[in-house]
Amino acid sequence: MKLKHFLALACACLPAAVLALDGKALLEKIDRNLEPEAYEMTRKLINEEPDGKRKEFILYSVKKGRDKVAALFLAPASDKGRSTLRQGDNMWLYIPNVGKPVRITSLQSVTGGVFNNADILRVDYSEEYDVTSASEEGANYLLDLKAKTGAVAYDRLKLTVDKKTVLPTRIEAYAASGMLVKTLHFKDVKDFGGGIRRPATVETDSPLYKGYKSVMLYAAVKKRNVADEVFTLNFMSRLDELRK
Amino acid sequence: MNRKVVAACLLATAVAGVHAADYSFDLSEVERSPLEWSGFVDAKAEHFNLRPGSALYPLNFPGTLPRSELDRQSAGYELAGKYQRDTLTLYGRLAGTAAHDALVTNSNSTWLEAGLRLSPSTGLSFDAGKQLQRWGKGYAWNPVGFFERPKDPSDPTLSREGYVMASADWVKSLPGTLAAVGFMPVLMPVNRDLNSDYGTPDKLNAGAKLYLLWADTDIDLLWAGEGSRPERIGLDFSRNLGSQLEVHGEWARTISATQRVVNPDGSIGTRSGHADSWLLGLRYLSEDEVTWILEFYRNGQGYAQDEFRSFYQLVNDAFAPTGTSAEQTLARSLAQSAYARPTAGSHYVYLRVSAKDPFDWLYVTPALSIIANTNDRSWQAAPELSYTGWQNVELRVRAILLHGDAGTEFGEKAIGRRLELLARLYF
Repeated sequence: MKLKHFLALACACLPAAVLALDGKALLEKIDRNLEPEAYEMTRKLINEEPDGKRKEFILYSVKKGRDKVAALFLAPASDKGRSTLRQGDNMWLYIPNVGKPVRITSLQSVTGGVFNNADILRVDYSEEYDVTSASEEGANYLLDLKAKTGAVAYDRLKLTVDKKTVLPTRIEAYAASGMLVKTLHFKDVKDFGGGIRRPATVETDSPLYKGYKSVMLYAAVKKRNVADEVFTLNFMSRLDELRK
Repeated sequence: MNRKVVAACLLATAVAGVHAADYSFDLSEVERSPLEWSGFVDAKAEHFNLRPGSALYPLNFPGTLPRSELDRQSAGYELAGKYQRDTLTLYGRLAGTAAHDALVTNSNSTWLEAGLRLSPSTGLSFDAGKQLQRWGKGYAWNPVGFFERPKDPSDPTLSREGYVMASADWVKSLPGTLAAVGFMPVLMPVNRDLNSDYGTPDKLNAGAKLYLLWADTDIDLLWAGEGSRPERIGLDFSRNLGSQLEVHGEWARTISATQRVVNPDGSIGTRSGHADSWLLGLRYLSEDEVTWILEFYRNGQGYAQDEFRSFYQLVNDAFAPTGTSAEQTLARSLAQSAYARPTAGSHYVYLRVSAKDPFDWLYVTPALSIIANTNDRSWQAAPELSYTGWQNVELRVRAILLHGDAGTEFGEKAIGRRLELLARLYF
């Protein structure tokens, strides 16, 4: 009798285990489809106010491994030369006038607007989140993610993923309190060359900033493997040397 | 009717087209050039409420009739440029101001930095020239800032002038708990023409910094050898605790430090011995995006309340009708070398609270900074409001209010209140 109960329980748990495993593999696939593990890219960030007024930033960034990212502001002039660095949960900001890197937290925003540091210095989703559920709905996969640690900017993510391209079309980000913090909309899938095909536009809105919108435009994404020392405090003032 | 519908459709299409086109991004906007430069120009208007009866007034406004108000207008610029070719980079940062008020009109230009960098590899570089070293993790103070001019805690992000020196910077990334290790040796000559305000002339000052990123904590071990100043050792650290909180600290020991002290009877004495300075601080971001920076600072070579009182008495006596020019010269020397420097006391608390985009006002940042001398309970508060909504423009209005009883640090400053308006244009 006890053996029957055990087998019944084991059978009930099996699909969940399989799904969790699939969800993890699916999330890793999404990570690689969005960006190669080592790359350089140039992006434009646009913060748009309800009256249409805009503020634009251009960033050059490099990533290596699953959790190392560095970004350099190329424009506007008021922010030119600023750089940000992320190694896992560690983040730093370098401002030329201040002259030394200072630690920042993932929820701060170096640009203002809806994007915060975690959005700008994003590392692999599978590095920061566990898949708590994975399912299918029509042409999409639906993934629920839970942050692995309290240091991650958003406690939970809900991903809507296009089955055909295995790329996200929508991500909802929630705080630990359950409040919806922001929604990211992925658009305009584009071939960047070198086997990289991903959305070229990410629009973000937030109930915390009613009427405001932030847009990220990807102009160039290329595979590139830089030295590990690029992702150190010492190199933050020299990031520009990487640009060709 | 149909024409109206067609026209409306065309207009909608045109608007959509413009909208889509607005989001375009051309990489040529940021094409890299070997020569790059940037900078800003600004204009500032300041109104000062003076304290003609304070101890420091005759030192700050010598030879002028006592006045209770002063207006000043100034214009400034900063120009930074660099030229890079292969592994060599030539860089410079030039700053200048021109100011006018009822007492004086002056202007100046200074190279804040100017040097040559050789970068043979990603993890190694050599610098020679005027450099600004920024050691330490503190926001308002850096007791381990051994080779730099001190920060002004009233405006910690203000550009500062560097010293002429040679340095190297080596860093290596590692797998595991010790994620990075770095080493920076520094050599700084001091003579009557070079770095003359650093300390005793005709000395070659050596120093070094060992950096470790260990268990997600930044740690620096620092040393400055005996030369123009006594030998100093120090350490600092900084670490994130969660996604909203950062903690940091610094400790520095000056070995066999000596400093002049005004005794209660008005005589000048010398205090000597090891001086320990330390700082503990945190930076916290609340859920409603209010940033709190809190720091406690112990200045090992700072003055206690009764020592400030003795100094103020010496100044009052020197500038009384019976005072001599020798006494006035001594008062000036003591003020410049120690007592009248920013935050020359022994114990302080610094607090800065700034709110990002409050009430949905995008790019508006109200802030309040407070520096309190916890020994004599005098303080300075600086409320400010800045706006950065227009591309490359920064607007700031700030007031600085000082409070303290007679004989206290902030109670005896020559300026009691200050209001400033700043407009800055970046290019």
